[in-house]
Amino acid sequence: MSESDLMYRSALSDREVQARRLIADYADTIDDGMLSDWPKYFTHDGIYRITTRQNEAAKMPLSIMLCDNQAMLYDRVEAIEHANIFEPHVYRHILSDSRTVEVTDDYLGVATSFSCVRTMLDGRMTLFAAGRYVDRIVLEEGQCRFRSRTVILDSSRIDTLIAIPL
Amino acid sequence: MTSAMEEKLIRWPEEGVRRIPYAVYSSQEVFEAEQKAIFRGPIWHFLGLEAQIPEPGCYVLAQMGEVPVILLRRKDGSVGALVNRCSHKGTPLVFLPAGKIDRFMCIYHNWCFDFEGNMTSAAFERGVRGKGGMASTFKKEDNGLQKLRVHSICGLVFGTLSDETPPFEEYVGPELIANIQRVCAKPLRILGQYSQTLPSNWKLYIENVKDPYHASILHAFNGVMKQDRLTMEGGITMGSRGWSHISYSKMSTDGGDEVYASGDLRSAEITAYGFGLRDKSMTDVWDDFGDRISMTIQTIFPNFVLQQLRNCLAVRTVVPKGTHESELRWIAFGYEDDDERKLNGRLKQSNMMGPAGLIAMEDGMIGGLVQQGIAGSLDKAAVIEMGGHGIEPIPGSRVSEGSVRGFWTGYRALMGF
Repeated sequence: MSESDLMYRSALSDREVQARRLIADYADTIDDGMLSDWPKYFTHDGIYRITTRQNEAAKMPLSIMLCDNQAMLYDRVEAIEHANIFEPHVYRHILSDSRTVEVTDDYLGVATSFSCVRTMLDGRMTLFAAGRYVDRIVLEEGQCRFRSRTVILDSSRIDTLIAIPL
Repeated sequence: MTSAMEEKLIRWPEEGVRRIPYAVYSSQEVFEAEQKAIFRGPIWHFLGLEAQIPEPGCYVLAQMGEVPVILLRRKDGSVGALVNRCSHKGTPLVFLPAGKIDRFMCIYHNWCFDFEGNMTSAAFERGVRGKGGMASTFKKEDNGLQKLRVHSICGLVFGTLSDETPPFEEYVGPELIANIQRVCAKPLRILGQYSQTLPSNWKLYIENVKDPYHASILHAFNGVMKQDRLTMEGGITMGSRGWSHISYSKMSTDGGDEVYASGDLRSAEITAYGFGLRDKSMTDVWDDFGDRISMTIQTIFPNFVLQQLRNCLAVRTVVPKGTHESELRWIAFGYEDDDERKLNGRLKQSNMMGPAGLIAMEDGMIGGLVQQGIAGSLDKAAVIEMGGHGIEPIPGSRVSEGSVRGFWTGYRALMGF
């Protein structure tokens, strides 16, 4: 291990440790089916969007899902729980280590790779999604929260539908 | 395949297009017959938007049934389409879904073609040091790429492989031409694209699009949010021969609360939860066309959709992949002259469409459920009688499956069923 790797490993700031915990807790919350807690991971003006690598590369602004404040996140939860119809299923997120890509006084920029396995009630399992989270994480009311979380999917083709957020 | 053989593939119920034999969604023989009779037959198939190929040499790939197609802008600025298959061994000439090139050069043996599809050269055409080379019978002019006829209207490009296909205007009809001119009147700006794998036959998706009956029932979000309810003022317009259609509704004309509250409708039950949007910005809509028409869903036979959901604009194509699988491709667009508010409004309203669409989500899975339900019952048929037996629209009403019957009218005509 090089000296710089050692420095990196030993030099995680408190903020970075908290940010990593936030990212892990978020995945557990979704995988555990606690969807109503999902908006709490964001600031009031927090942005959540799912897009694709293809659209990012082409600088196309379209999202598969776009919520640009916490109220919209709650609206999504309401829709998923009470309005939208889909075959019940669960996710299992597998996360990579997180890489700090930007440090400012205000926020921490963090990137994390993920894969997500989707399991249907009848047992069908699919590698549903793989991609990267690109996050801006801030401290708000003493809590680490996402000011923005962009989910960039490697594939532009979705199997059937995305009901539960990634 | 002769029509006598096709007769044996499917025995259509004597009731006609108000019955749909389930076997048409499941039979491999029907799938193969469709490729020839429909996708390589006398239809206009959507290939892409001119905005995707802004400069000479720009191309995008399209899929006409099983046939891979290149849509490109030629050096003189016109658009053309060629089958993506080298005339030597059949290798695709381009792989990336979009790009910019100055000619076609096959990676396998360097056969080269210009943008008209003419063959210009082959590697070692005259052999090496005077030995070998192509046979004296070989003529480059006989070995060009297969061309499609194309028709471009307001930036939408359609193509056909058949010489029998009627002119585009005749194929879709004047009302549908008018709606394309309405929605695509200004230069389009592409906002992005994505696709969905659907676990169903392609026809189950296109039937669903052509069926306004389900829209506020299956899509409870629609009904509860009063985005599109059958009690709104609206109607169905049929295209030529009933094969294509437009379903539309108008803003602020809904007086249907009592219908939705008294009927046995799931969306009515949801009101009991006090469901309502906390964030109103997604319903911040404007009248793009000055006609108060807030929703138009237009199909062009067999598999194209032009969508206006309030300010959320898109084209969709459903590509058959097998008897039980299809791919639904979406391209969202706005206009080049959109200001920031309109751009952001369209992007936000895009939450209604696509694989995570608050309204569109169920469309991705409902065909798959139908396919599960009909398995083992392929001798039986669906019952399509809402609004009568025929394909004539009911003035001012969308409570009809007439447009679904219109699709099957076209389907039977081409398939000989």
